[in-house]
Amino acid sequence: MLNRLSLRVRIFLFFAALAVGALIALGVGLTLGYRRLGSPETLDAFVQGGVVAAFAIVGLVAWVWYLFDVNVAKPIDILAGALRARAHADVTGEMNAAIARYLGDLAPAATAAAASLSETRNALAEAVARETTRLTDEKARLEALLSDVPVGVLLCSGDHALAFYNGQAVDLIGAGSAAPGLDRQVFDYLRQGPIQLAHERLMATGDPDAASDLLCTTVNGARVMAARMRLMGGDNGAIPGYVLTLRDVTADMASQARREALLAEVFDRVRRPAANLATLIEVIPEGSAAPGRLDTALREEVLQLAQAVTELSRRHDESRDDGWPLTMTRDFDLLEGLRARIEADGLGVTTTAADLLLRCNGFEIIALISGLAEEMGKQGLARDFDLQVQEDGTGGLIRLIWAGASLPMALLDQWLERPLEPGLSDVARRSVLAMHATEIWPETLPDGRYCLCLPIPQARRVVRRPAPIARAVVYDFDLLSKARNAKVQDARLDDLTYVVFDTETTGLLPAQGDEIVQIAAVRIVNGRRVDGEVFDTLVNPRRPIPLSSTEVHGITEAMVQDAPFVEEVAARFHKFAEGAVLIAHNAPFDMEFLRRLEPKLGLRFDHPVLDTVLLSAVVYGQHEVHSLDALTHRLGITIPEEARHTAIGDTVATADAFLKLMPMLAGLGLQTFGEVVGEVRRHGRLLKDLN
Amino acid sequence: MAEVARKRRVLVVEDEDNIAIALDYLMTREGYDHDRIANGAEAMDRIRTTHPDLVLLDVMLPEVSGYEICQGVRLDPDLADVKILMMTARGSAIERRKGLALGADGFISKPFELQELRQEVRRLLGAAS
Repeated sequence: MLNRLSLRVRIFLFFAALAVGALIALGVGLTLGYRRLGSPETLDAFVQGGVVAAFAIVGLVAWVWYLFDVNVAKPIDILAGALRARAHADVTGEMNAAIARYLGDLAPAATAAAASLSETRNALAEAVARETTRLTDEKARLEALLSDVPVGVLLCSGDHALAFYNGQAVDLIGAGSAAPGLDRQVFDYLRQGPIQLAHERLMATGDPDAASDLLCTTVNGARVMAARMRLMGGDNGAIPGYVLTLRDVTADMASQARREALLAEVFDRVRRPAANLATLIEVIPEGSAAPGRLDTALREEVLQLAQAVTELSRRHDESRDDGWPLTMTRDFDLLEGLRARIEADGLGVTTTAADLLLRCNGFEIIALISGLAEEMGKQGLARDFDLQVQEDGTGGLIRLIWAGASLPMALLDQWLERPLEPGLSDVARRSVLAMHATEIWPETLPDGRYCLCLPIPQARRVVRRPAPIARAVVYDFDLLSKARNAKVQDARLDDLTYVVFDTETTGLLPAQGDEIVQIAAVRIVNGRRVDGEVFDTLVNPRRPIPLSSTEVHGITEAMVQDAPFVEEVAARFHKFAEGAVLIAHNAPFDMEFLRRLEPKLGLRFDHPVLDTVLLSAVVYGQHEVHSLDALTHRLGITIPEEARHTAIGDTVATADAFLKLMPMLAGLGLQTFGEVVGEVRRHGRLLKDLN
Repeated sequence: MAEVARKRRVLVVEDEDNIAIALDYLMTREGYDHDRIANGAEAMDRIRTTHPDLVLLDVMLPEVSGYEICQGVRLDPDLADVKILMMTARGSAIERRKGLALGADGFISKPFELQELRQEVRRLLGAAS
């Protein structure tokens, strides 16, 4: 029982007991003396003396207790917290020995122990760092390789939880608030049936190298993807996890469907007027003019047929834009390829790019133009060329320029009928033009030189784009073998998934109409903050933001003007936090704003909640300051000034503080969520526990 | 004394007989002196010998394409005043551009409205005069 009380309470109780004991001893002594004296008239004197002595004893004991509490108990608590931070949270730096100046050699000894621990740790860290650097380099190279794989890759545990995903997978199965998250069920993003069946099918084969092709569909947006599943792991009798590679076929299927529909329409719209015409012609006697009504009918049918063919032909030309091999190719790369090919034929060439991205099949265009240059060289028309790309309306124009003789169309037509490459006898150069919906022709330039013009219908300027979202891979392979505990209360702290969040608001009083203007959150999975899984969005509060609030968080009314309303953002946040423990610094404040929205949203924010204010009190005692600044300072976490009081800056700082508090809580013997909450409730007078 | 207006000469280079019949009908109705040739290979010689005011030139011809004939006419300084109106059944913007780049004075897509063709011919022959 006493062990559960803090040191300061125990010392207080000790002094209280001492005072009570002394008072009892005083009372007993005075009673004995009075009886022994046997003189009733001295009673008042004994009572007065006793009261004075009792006050003196209580005062003296209280004074000594106060000195002891301030100079011994409290410093011991602070020293213990500081030592614990150094032992469990890798905090470094000098300890404040002055606060424990009445503890004799204890403070210097603790400082020396901390310094020694730090030195040992540094030496160990250096050795580990050398090896880690090597492994980190290898890891970075592997990550770069995996992030560049042009298909989406998911790695799932046997119970279908995500342990790895790359940037392409994010693009395919959902971005923004619907973006994938580690340790989430893959079925949150992809429909369950085909994946589960393929998994069972592969397990039934008993062949570790077997793979299964399947067609799966996203839960949101019904994007259809071709997928391949391959099992991995599954040693020790555990259900094996699997790798799922994804390729979007929605566009292919839509393009194919459009072409099929167009073809069907061609037959339909041509067959009917053609049949009608044949019928009409049949009834007109040969050699005589068509009677009035028949003549009108003939004209109508002919007009209809001609219009149908013209329109269908135009649509067919447009549908060629769906062509698969046409990608955006940098003109500089194209010209470099051409220069290499033309120079390899012993011809001279200079190039001028225009910083354009041309939508074309670069290989075919290079083969076509270099082939034509080679023909001209052989024909003796030119040996030196100037290759230019220039902007041409919404497209680009490739010009092969030479001085000397002009190129007759007849010769050009003849060359265009030849194979594109020596080994491709059935692919004529002209087919490249058809594929790109373009033409090529010779022109005479004003300076007397000649050029071959090849327009590329679609191009755009190369512009400096904002830094792209990193296509990093996100993973934690420990999740593949993670044991799951059904009850949050019994789960170890580092087994749980957390969403650490912070809100910025128009003011401090939600009951009086203050609203959220920003929500930011990060996820902690398997004891690690996942860099790529961030929720950070401004909110339109539908009311003015007081200047005093803007001065704190820097969010102005102009910034939130086009932001979504709180109902939409809160619903997305609810999805982001699904299945996680919520963590905030001073959680009742943030939770009050969210819980007020529950009736409107039809959702409950009934997640388990941890508050870093209370966790700080558990670790450091209530006498410390538990502001986010003070806590992060004690834990050696630096919040960049520009991030301070921004929702995401405070969120990351809170998350990092929690990650450092976690081993310190374990050091106190608080291993499970239930144990931590039980301890937190003892600090209820500091803040209300929300669980 | 007023000069007697010379009849404008139009050469139709078209391999499809039915279109040629329609063009023959139109040119007659418009009062042009016209002739037709179906073979692209003979077209250049005919243009040189008859020196028409306007050539109605189909793009898709057997043996020699309309583009080739157009380029040939433009490379011949003696034929600098011959106007060329190209005709094609495909009529995409890029073909029109190619025709104009090779020296055609106009480009018309088949099937064409007679009114449109009439106006285009009048425009070019007006410019030729």
